[in-house]
Amino acid sequence: MRTAHIFLMAAAFAVSATASAADRRDAELELSQALTAVQTAEREDGARYAPADLNEAQAMLVTAQRAFDARAWTDTAIYAERAKVSGDLTVARSRQHRAEFATAEIERSVDALRVRLPNGGTP
Amino acid sequence: MNLRPHHLLVSSALALAISSCATVPPGPPPEVVRLQTQLDRLHADPRIVDNAGPELNNADAAVDTLARNARSLDPASLQQGVYIADRLVQIAEASALARYEERRGTQLGIEREQLLAANDRATRVIVATEPTRVVTTRTEPTRVVTTTTEQARVVTSEPPRVVRTTGELMPLGRAELLALQEQLPGMESRLDVRGLVVRFGDFQFEPNRATLMPAAERSLDTLANALRAQPDTRVSIETYTGINDASLGVERARAVSDYLDARGIDPSRIDARAAPVPAGSGIVADRHVDVVIRRN
Repeated sequence: MRTAHIFLMAAAFAVSATASAADRRDAELELSQALTAVQTAEREDGARYAPADLNEAQAMLVTAQRAFDARAWTDTAIYAERAKVSGDLTVARSRQHRAEFATAEIERSVDALRVRLPNGGTP
Repeated sequence: MNLRPHHLLVSSALALAISSCATVPPGPPPEVVRLQTQLDRLHADPRIVDNAGPELNNADAAVDTLARNARSLDPASLQQGVYIADRLVQIAEASALARYEERRGTQLGIEREQLLAANDRATRVIVATEPTRVVTTRTEPTRVVTTTTEQARVVTSEPPRVVRTTGELMPLGRAELLALQEQLPGMESRLDVRGLVVRFGDFQFEPNRATLMPAAERSLDTLANALRAQPDTRVSIETYTGINDASLGVERARAVSDYLDARGIDPSRIDARAAPVPAGSGIVADRHVDVVIRRN
């Protein structure tokens, strides 16, 4: 599960910090997961519902890719992890705002029906 | 005063140690305290607590780990840990609020269906088939003006008619559509010149998507059952969106068509299309899908 993985990574960062440098394989894995998270955020209408978070995720992904090109594996892992968690945040915010939007629409419809019906629709 | 060099060194070391202790306050750094405060706020919010998923546990664990280890971390590692934990806290909040709104939307949807059913009961007129033929008059088309004496004649071969309890006469097809409407409680429907029109509002789809909401699927299940019992009817699916949302309209029409198809309605009975003219002002709230049912 991605979120659990993020937590484990966060804990790992907190405890062991960057003392143990990531190797190329770790960096590739992190980068791949970050790319998936950002693409998911884009598909979930992140640009509409959480543009700031999506921008952050995309910026971190670009930085991670540059670090990878420069063979800076630890930096790649750090920025990829940031891109991934920002992508996840974008998805969560998109879901929240979509739900708020849909609920507000239904609420308006219910209010209109209550006005139309005698006694506000109460039996 | 007999002050020796090693006394001075010891005094200096002690002074340095005391001053360094004074500049490092006990407890976690301020940025971690801020995260703990945010978490406390989430835990005090019933909308969050009642809808919390694993995300809140993850955020709790991440902040707790940071708080316990923050003082032993180098600045870069602390910064990274704070960044990740901060996002985890925000994810926990957004996910819980999303669940809260989704549950509230489901409850409101049920209430809306009940209100629509109540509205139907308040306005619906019971339809009954008239047992005998009706004799009525009909004017011939104007092309027969030369036979003015035959312009009005008695027609005795009219199709059977039905009568509403109000006494209003109506063609059989219209009456059957009214009977069909009776089988669609809780759905927004009306009869107009196109036939029986069942409306699915924008809120019955996921925002800006063609994915049906659960309430819309329940309505389509009911509609499909009614349509299976009326094989002589045809269905047109008309979607109304803004000019810039034409492709969304096509996708929504296809979604409704596919859903009915999956529920056993022959696709040859269904004609799905996006309406070419934007509805109303073209604002999102005006978007809707009309399922128009008429007799063959």
